[in-house]
Amino acid sequence: MNAPSPHPAAVMHPEVPDDRRVIFENVSKFYGEVLGVNRVTLSIPPGITGLVGPNGSGKTTLMNLIVGLLQPTRGALSVLGVTTDRPEELFRLIGYSTQYDAFPPGMTGYQFVYSFLRVHGFGHAESEAMTWKAIERVGLVEAAGRKVAGYSKGMRQRIKLAQAMAHQPSVLILDEPLNGLDPMARAEVISLFRELAAGGLHVIVSSHILHEVDLISDQVVLLNGGYVVAEGEITGVRDEMEEQHPAQVLIRCDRPSLLASRVFEQDHVVEARIHEDGKGLLVRTRDADQFYLLLNQVVLENGLGIETVMPTDADVHAVYQYLIGSNGEKS
Amino acid sequence: MAVYERSYGRYTGLTTPEWSRFLILPRYAYETVFKSRLFVSFFALCFLMPFVGLLIIYLHHNLSALQFLQLPPEELKRFLPINNEFFWRGLWFQGALSLLLVLFVGPALVSPDLRNNGLPLYLSRPFSRTEYVLGKMSVLLILLSLITWIPGLLLFFFQGYLEGAGWIGDNLGIAGALFAGSWTWILFLSLFALAVSAWVKWKPVARIALMGLFFVLMGFGEALNEILDVWWGTLISAWHVIASIWLSLFGLDPSNDLPPAGASWVALAAGSAIFLWLLYRRIRAYEVVR
Amino acid sequence: MSHPINQTTTPGPVIELDGLQVSLGGRPILKGLKASLSGRCIGLLGPNGAGKTTLLHTLLGFYPANGGTARLFGHDIRTEMRSVRSLIGYMPENDAFVAGMTGIRFVRLMAELSGLPSSQAIERAHEVLFYVGLGEARYREVGTYSLGMKQLAKLAQALAHGPKVLFLDEPTNGLDPPARERMLKLIRDIRDTGEVHVILSSHLLRDVEECCEEVLVLKNGQIATYCNLEEERRANRKFLELELRAERGSGEEAAFAADVEKLGVECAVSARQRIKLVLPEGMEVRDLYQLAAARNVQIRRLDYKRDSLEDIFLKAMEMDTEVAGHGRV
Repeated sequence: MNAPSPHPAAVMHPEVPDDRRVIFENVSKFYGEVLGVNRVTLSIPPGITGLVGPNGSGKTTLMNLIVGLLQPTRGALSVLGVTTDRPEELFRLIGYSTQYDAFPPGMTGYQFVYSFLRVHGFGHAESEAMTWKAIERVGLVEAAGRKVAGYSKGMRQRIKLAQAMAHQPSVLILDEPLNGLDPMARAEVISLFRELAAGGLHVIVSSHILHEVDLISDQVVLLNGGYVVAEGEITGVRDEMEEQHPAQVLIRCDRPSLLASRVFEQDHVVEARIHEDGKGLLVRTRDADQFYLLLNQVVLENGLGIETVMPTDADVHAVYQYLIGSNGEKS
Repeated sequence: MAVYERSYGRYTGLTTPEWSRFLILPRYAYETVFKSRLFVSFFALCFLMPFVGLLIIYLHHNLSALQFLQLPPEELKRFLPINNEFFWRGLWFQGALSLLLVLFVGPALVSPDLRNNGLPLYLSRPFSRTEYVLGKMSVLLILLSLITWIPGLLLFFFQGYLEGAGWIGDNLGIAGALFAGSWTWILFLSLFALAVSAWVKWKPVARIALMGLFFVLMGFGEALNEILDVWWGTLISAWHVIASIWLSLFGLDPSNDLPPAGASWVALAAGSAIFLWLLYRRIRAYEVVR
Repeated sequence: MSHPINQTTTPGPVIELDGLQVSLGGRPILKGLKASLSGRCIGLLGPNGAGKTTLLHTLLGFYPANGGTARLFGHDIRTEMRSVRSLIGYMPENDAFVAGMTGIRFVRLMAELSGLPSSQAIERAHEVLFYVGLGEARYREVGTYSLGMKQLAKLAQALAHGPKVLFLDEPTNGLDPPARERMLKLIRDIRDTGEVHVILSSHLLRDVEECCEEVLVLKNGQIATYCNLEEERRANRKFLELELRAERGSGEEAAFAADVEKLGVECAVSARQRIKLVLPEGMEVRDLYQLAAARNVQIRRLDYKRDSLEDIFLKAMEMDTEVAGHGRV
C-alpha cells in the first residue's frame, strides 16, 4: 500500500507534521457483518489522548488497528509515517497494554517483560537492563521476582505497563490502564504519563473515568457505535457544540435577579433560570466568551457579590452526555 | 388522586424460622429439575418396580386374582417367595436407578454456584456452610428416599398387613435392612455427587466423571485383587462394597468375590468422609492465599 | 413464623471497631482497629493491601477475628454473627451470581435465604429489580447481562431483604460513564431514603466524595484517619480554584496570575489555566474580577476547593502532594 495522501484540515496542532502523527484515513473495520469502526478519519498528535466511549463503541478495534493486530477492511492507517504493511517497524514503535490479562502461566513479572524484549530482538544484557528500567519506572522492583499469577490487580496493571514501555516505543496504547489501581498508584501512573508525553511520546489512553480523562488529556477522541463522534481539545470541542448545546453556567450570587436582567439584554443568552434556593442563576448561552466578559462588567458595575461560578456542562462528561448520551448501551 | 413513587424501603415483616432455611435449596432445585420432561418420565419409571412388587405381593394373597390369571398359586409361592431375598432384589434394582437419578440431578447442584462466585452471596447471609451442604444434599436425599426405602417400607407393611399374624414381628430385620441399606447408599451417593459437582464445572464432564469413577474403580478393584492376589483391592469399588453391605444386612450368603462386610462398612465410611472433606474444601466464601 | 427483623432502630454507631485484629495465612492484616463509625454513607479507602476488603469480610464473618472484636448495631461479631449477617446487604467486588438463573429467580432465592417468606420474597424481588433499573431484563438469565447489568443485579440482591447496612465493594467497577452515573445516583438515592446506611469501599476518590459524608482511611492494617467530609469542606472556604480563559495565545492568563501574586496572595498555577489561591483577609472576590476585567480575561470557573478528599487521603498516606504530580499547591 502507498503512503496516505495529505489529509484534510488537521484539527489538532497544525504545526505537527504528518510523520509525527497517528493518522487514520477513512478507515473501516468489519468482522464479517459486524461493525468494528466505520469511516474513521483521525489525526492524533503527540501528547496524552483520551479515548472515550461506551462498551462496544469500537475503542478496542481502534486500538488493535493502530497496533497492527488488525488490518483495516478499508482505508489507510499510518503511525508516525509507518504504514500497516511494515509490521516489524510498527511493532517496534508501539507499546500495547490490553484491558484483559493474558499472561503466559508460571511467569514472574521480570520474565514477562524480559522475554518480550528478547522477542523484539534485543540481546541478553540489553534486555536485562531495559527490563529493570521499565520495572523500576512502574515501581514493581520488589515484586519482580514473584509469579504474575500472585499479583494483585493493580500490580498486574503495572507490569503490563512495564512491558508496554520496556522497548521504548514512541506510541503507547493503553486500554484502561488505571483499572484497579488505588488512588496513590493512579497519581503515580498519571505523572508517568505526563513525563512520557512531555518527552514527545503519543500516549493513547482509553478510560471510563471521565474526570480523569478531563484532567490528564491534551486531546480526546469520542467514539460511539463505531463512529468518531468528536475529537480534539475538550474546550475546542465544547465550543464547537455551542450552537446546538448552549453552554450552561451556574452563578451563585447575592442578587440573581439583577444578573438575570443584565444577561437577558444579550442576544446570545438562551435561558436564565433562578436556582431553586433563590441564591443562584443558571444561564444558558450560545456564546460563553461574551457571557463571561459581561460577567466581569456586571460584578464591577453593579457590585454583584459572587460566591461561585460553575460551568455545568463544559467537561468531557457533559460532552459525552450530549454526543453519546445514555443510549450507547442499555446497562 | 395519588402519585406513587417507588423507592427503597426496609423489610419489617416476619421471617421464616432459621432451622428450615436449608430446605429453600431443594425447593429451588426441584423447580428446575422437574421442568425437564425427560426427568419426570424417568422419575415416574422409578416407581415401576415397586409397583410390580406391589402386584406380586397382592397376587400372593389373592386366590381369585391368581385363578383369573390362570397362575398356579403353589408355583408362585415357591418361585417368588416374599422373603428377604425378594426385598433385597428390589433394593438392588432401585439402587441402580438411584445411580442414574444422581447422574441426572447431581452435576448441576453445586457447580452453578461456584462458577460465577456465587458462594459469598450465600454465606454473607445468616446461612452457614453446613446449611448449604445440607440443603444441597437434601435435594438428592429426598428424591432418593422416595424411590428406595419409602416404597420399600410401604411394600413391607403391605405384606405384613396382608399376611397378618405377626409376620412383621418375625421379619423386622428386613425392614431394618431396607432402611439402613437405603440410607447407606443414599448418603454415599449424595456425597459422591456433590463432591464431583463441586470440583467439576461442566455437567457432561461431571456425569462422565461420576460414571467413570464408579465403573472404572469397579474394574480396577477386581484387577487389583487378581494381580496382587488379595481380597481388599475391591474395597475401592463402590459396587463391591455396597453389594457386600446389602447382602450382610439382609442376612444373605456373601459371595466369594466380595470383600467382607466389616471391611466394607469401614471403606464406605472412609469414602464418604473423603467426599465430605472435598466438598467442604470448595464451599468457602474466600480462599486465603499464602 | 418467627421474630420480625430490622424493626428496632438502634441509636448509636453503625459499626464499632474495638481493637479488631485479623490474621490470614499467618500474616497480620488488620492490626488492632479502633473506631466508631456512624453516618448515612461511610467511605472506606486505602491502598491495595491495606485491609479494606478484609475488614468487610471479617464483619461478614468470612474470617474470624484473632483479637479484639467489632459490633454492628450493637451486635458482636464474635457471638452474634447470624444477627449481624441478617442486617447486612453485601455487594462483592467481583462478578457474583448463580449461573442458569433469571434475574428474578436469583434475587428471589437470595431474599428467601435472608429469611423472607416466599410470597414476600417474590414481591420484593420484582420491586427491587425495577428500582435498580433492571425491570425489563428481569426474566433474562443473569449470565446474559452486560457488565453494568450484572453490577445492578448484585446491588438488587443486596437490597432485596431490606438490610440496615449495605456493604458496597467497588460498585462502579468496569462501568462505562452513563452506567457509572446511574449507579452513583442510585447509591445516593438509597442513602437519602434514610432507611439504610451505606459503606462504600472504592479506589475512586470521586465516587466516595460524591456519595459519602464520612471517610475511614486504612493503611497497612491500621486506621490512618477517620474524618467527616462535610466539616472538611466547610473549612476549605478560603481556598479558591479559578479557571481562566483569555484570547488564544495572548498569555493573559499568566499575566493575571502574576497580578494576583503582586497583591500578596498565595497562588499556584496548575494544568490548563487553572489557578488555586488562598483569599486573605480583607480581599474579596470582587477584587479578582477587577483584575480580570483589566486584562480582558474570563473567569470561567470560580469555586471552593472541591478535592478535600484527595488531600485528606494523601495526607493520610503521608505523601507530599507535589510528588503526586498534579502540580498542586
